[in-house]
Amino acid sequence: MLAVHRDVLNIVQAKFLSAEVVRSIHLNVSAIDGRRCDENRILALVEYNNSFALFILISSKIKPLSISDLSIETVIPIDEYFSCDTEPIEGSQFHIIFIITYKKIVRAFKIEIGLESSNFASEVIRSKEVSLYNKPIFVWLDKYIGTMSEPSHTSDLGQTDTPIIRQHIAQGPSGINRDSMLKYQLKLKEPEFTQKQEFSIFVGTWNVNGQPPSISLRPWLSCDENPPDLYAVGFQEIDLSKEAFLFNDTPREAEWYKYVMEGVHPKAKYKLVGLARLVGMQLVVMVNSQHYPYVKNISVDTIGTGLLGKMGNKGGVGVRMELHNTSLCFVNSHLAAHVDEYERRNQDYKDINARMNFKRTPQAIKDHEQVYWLGDLNYRITDLTTTQVKTLLNRHELPTLLRADQLNQQKERGNVLLDYEEGDIKFQPTYKYDLNTDTFDTSEKARPPAWTDRILWRGKGVYQVAYRSHMDLRLSDHKPVSALFKSEISVVDPSKYRRVHEELLKKMDKYENEYLPQVTVDQTEVVFELVKFRERQTREITIANTGMVPAEFEFIKKLDENSYCKDWLRIIPYCGSINPGEKCDVKLEVCLETDLTKIYDILVLHLKGGKDMFIIINGDCQKSSFTTSISTLCRISVPIMQVTDEQWRLALKDVSESSVLYSVPRELWLIIDHLYRHGLKTRDLFESSALHEEIIRIRDWLDFGSLDPLPGNVQAVAETLLLFLSFTKDPVIPYDVHDACIAAASNFQNCRQIVLQKVSDLHRNVFLYICMFLQEILKYSNDNGYDAKTLASLFGDILLRDQIRNSKPQASRGKSNFVYNFLVNDMSSSIMPHK
Amino acid sequence: MARDYDHLFKLLIIGDSGVGKSSLLLRFSDNTFTGSYITTIGVDFKIKTVHVNGQKVKLQIWDTAGQERFRTITSTYYRGTHGVIVVYDVTNGESFANVKRWLHEIEQNCDLVNKVLVGNKNDTPERKVVLTEDAQRFADTMNIQLFETSAKDNINVEEMFLAITRLVLRSKLDMMERQNVTQNDTVNLRKTNKQNKKNKCC
Repeated sequence: MLAVHRDVLNIVQAKFLSAEVVRSIHLNVSAIDGRRCDENRILALVEYNNSFALFILISSKIKPLSISDLSIETVIPIDEYFSCDTEPIEGSQFHIIFIITYKKIVRAFKIEIGLESSNFASEVIRSKEVSLYNKPIFVWLDKYIGTMSEPSHTSDLGQTDTPIIRQHIAQGPSGINRDSMLKYQLKLKEPEFTQKQEFSIFVGTWNVNGQPPSISLRPWLSCDENPPDLYAVGFQEIDLSKEAFLFNDTPREAEWYKYVMEGVHPKAKYKLVGLARLVGMQLVVMVNSQHYPYVKNISVDTIGTGLLGKMGNKGGVGVRMELHNTSLCFVNSHLAAHVDEYERRNQDYKDINARMNFKRTPQAIKDHEQVYWLGDLNYRITDLTTTQVKTLLNRHELPTLLRADQLNQQKERGNVLLDYEEGDIKFQPTYKYDLNTDTFDTSEKARPPAWTDRILWRGKGVYQVAYRSHMDLRLSDHKPVSALFKSEISVVDPSKYRRVHEELLKKMDKYENEYLPQVTVDQTEVVFELVKFRERQTREITIANTGMVPAEFEFIKKLDENSYCKDWLRIIPYCGSINPGEKCDVKLEVCLETDLTKIYDILVLHLKGGKDMFIIINGDCQKSSFTTSISTLCRISVPIMQVTDEQWRLALKDVSESSVLYSVPRELWLIIDHLYRHGLKTRDLFESSALHEEIIRIRDWLDFGSLDPLPGNVQAVAETLLLFLSFTKDPVIPYDVHDACIAAASNFQNCRQIVLQKVSDLHRNVFLYICMFLQEILKYSNDNGYDAKTLASLFGDILLRDQIRNSKPQASRGKSNFVYNFLVNDMSSSIMPHK
Repeated sequence: MARDYDHLFKLLIIGDSGVGKSSLLLRFSDNTFTGSYITTIGVDFKIKTVHVNGQKVKLQIWDTAGQERFRTITSTYYRGTHGVIVVYDVTNGESFANVKRWLHEIEQNCDLVNKVLVGNKNDTPERKVVLTEDAQRFADTMNIQLFETSAKDNINVEEMFLAITRLVLRSKLDMMERQNVTQNDTVNLRKTNKQNKKNKCC
């Protein structure tokens, strides 16, 4: 138990009558209630006469300092209606949800995963088991229900449903960490698949004062009648030589190990689990060989806290392991010497705790279920002279001496080995003796005797059976000390374990599947009405998040495609995130600028970390002269919508010149004729932007044919001309001669040659026809304000339009220079009338 | 302490529309069945951890749209698949006839993959048109294991999924063993070379 923990436990206990015992508490709990998350809750398991209740306390401070900082929020009796469970938190390895259900009450708490939570949860589970047998009476709770800070709270909670809680929690970015989840859940369910078995553990410590081994260790290690299951034997000062100190190398390690092996109980065979040594500190952990197969995850570490704070003349060595299902840690330490240096000793202890790292989980000393701390801790007896101490010893007044023991004093003050326990000391001080005698130091210094050599422990189910010194071993100025424990070890029942494990996996599969992002889409097939040239149509689909976690969606590319949708479609937004229970409308906008007869595509709506859904886009398209090729248009005699299927087929297919009916497309002639008659003098003819509807009316007039005059004002017709030239299936000047045109732009004759030789008759006709019309416009430049440069740059990018649309035009200047030639030169020689 | 899983495999369920692919998955992962038919438009997956030969195998099982029009898209989901479950409907002869096409689809899109053939809806004998003997004969010629299942009555579903998992697991272990053997060979070769050199020196 940690210092803070114990302090708070005392404060919490003060909140109750003395017969109402606080069995276990959990600090730093956050209460989760729908969308709210209230911190500073403390859970307390309280027992009165075999009836248990769970108290939810509100603490006004993170760490309550007195009972006035605590108020009772809710009391939940633990009886047959009570149950508790845990759930993982999406994306969190460190926290978990602890759920308490009582009749209609559901309360959820966020707690940190660790020893505290697993201890608390198992205490609660145990108390529930106890209550099932005892028919508990809860009258004692009545007085607390009146003191509850929010008495109505309890009934409100009936509506809080677990899924809502999950939804709230599940805002994390990634999936559950199943590994740590499984570990944690298994730990919680440990009582279901393990049973406690008592193991005897012999722990010994001896400061050997640099003496080589020469006597049998049996009187020490084998003093008990029955062989222990496990040995942890620690030495200090096995080698005081410079070599050992500087190079951490000593032959004594093997020698002492050999003596230990010879000294262990003759009625059993032992196998080494781990040996840790640093300079003079050595720890040997052995196990009765019949248990060896159940020892796992052995790890050792050594920490020096001596000279410079890191040398190995002082410090600690540790061996950790798991025996069956219980984690054990043994630490042998030799702390700073000298009477007055108790603070230094406290610091050494803290340093060993902070720095010892077993590079496995659990990594720190404190994370082990059972820790045995042994060694020459070097705490002395204060404020008493050697004579006084000896006198008290002679009078057998050990309690008086033990009160003056620095370790007891420092421990009392919370400065060292705080949450450790130590058995009653009934033996003489183990330091300092004249070598090979049982006589306390008779040298000039005459050091006062002290209990420097100690054994402590922490953890549940550890019971000390014996704690003693061994006077007969007179090799050193210290006497060896030993303690015998009966310790409860969780032993796994393989078949039960398998069942629990499989159940947990099932549960976790269920969680994982539940936590997959889930959405529904209101329509998986979107059909557009007749799609017409540049007439935008939109449809909306609604993506609803029906899952537990935020759904990140994105429309993704199909294999071999370079975008997530075809260029006639826009998806807004094409990606996004939807919170659970919320919806997102996605706009699908079609804009046709090519000669497709049908639009069809399958969109792939991908959920990050989840499924893909397909959405089918469908629609028929209406033909338009605007997206038809110049050569096809020259082969039809009527508006495009009046063309029969047969005529259309021929017009598309026929490449022979014979079927050409017009020198330029009929539609182009109609537009230019209109502009010629009405627009030559119009200022900024091509500059103004017409209404979309006007353009659509002109398009329909051209495509369907009509006896009415061309609709729209002259600027709209002028814009239609630019549009028409921009979208014909092929550009007026073919793509493959653009480079040549740009290269020739400085020379009219070269430009003319290109047009004459490299451009097909119909395209040349259209080109020259446009240029001549532009020359006409230039004749009225005084009225319309146009000069050749302006028109050339306006039409250059259109007549020589780029293959890829919607990007910045390439080589604009070269193209306009090319067109410019045809606006300022006489072109009569270029025209070759249609045969 | 326990690890989450020893192996992670991706399985894929394919077959004509309406043969019960999603139902098989739902039966296996959630042990539920719904009579109402919702056609799958897309690809979805579920997680299921199973114990096979003492090993924990985590399966990510993908359920695909069976409709013809999605064929080209769904074929892109074959990548990285360890095992494919080809499903037909024993009450629908055409779905059985199409199995060949699905097998072909696998060949086109996967390198080495384990397969099982599954005749689902094997719960109403009077409506059964694909006879077990015919299906078995076909399965034998293709060297595939055949399972007749019913997601509705929970017949043979678990067995089928465990069988494909076992196949996939065995393939993986075989491959690992083969790699080990090759590595050992290399080592041995080197050793012999060294020895040869030594011999020459002497």
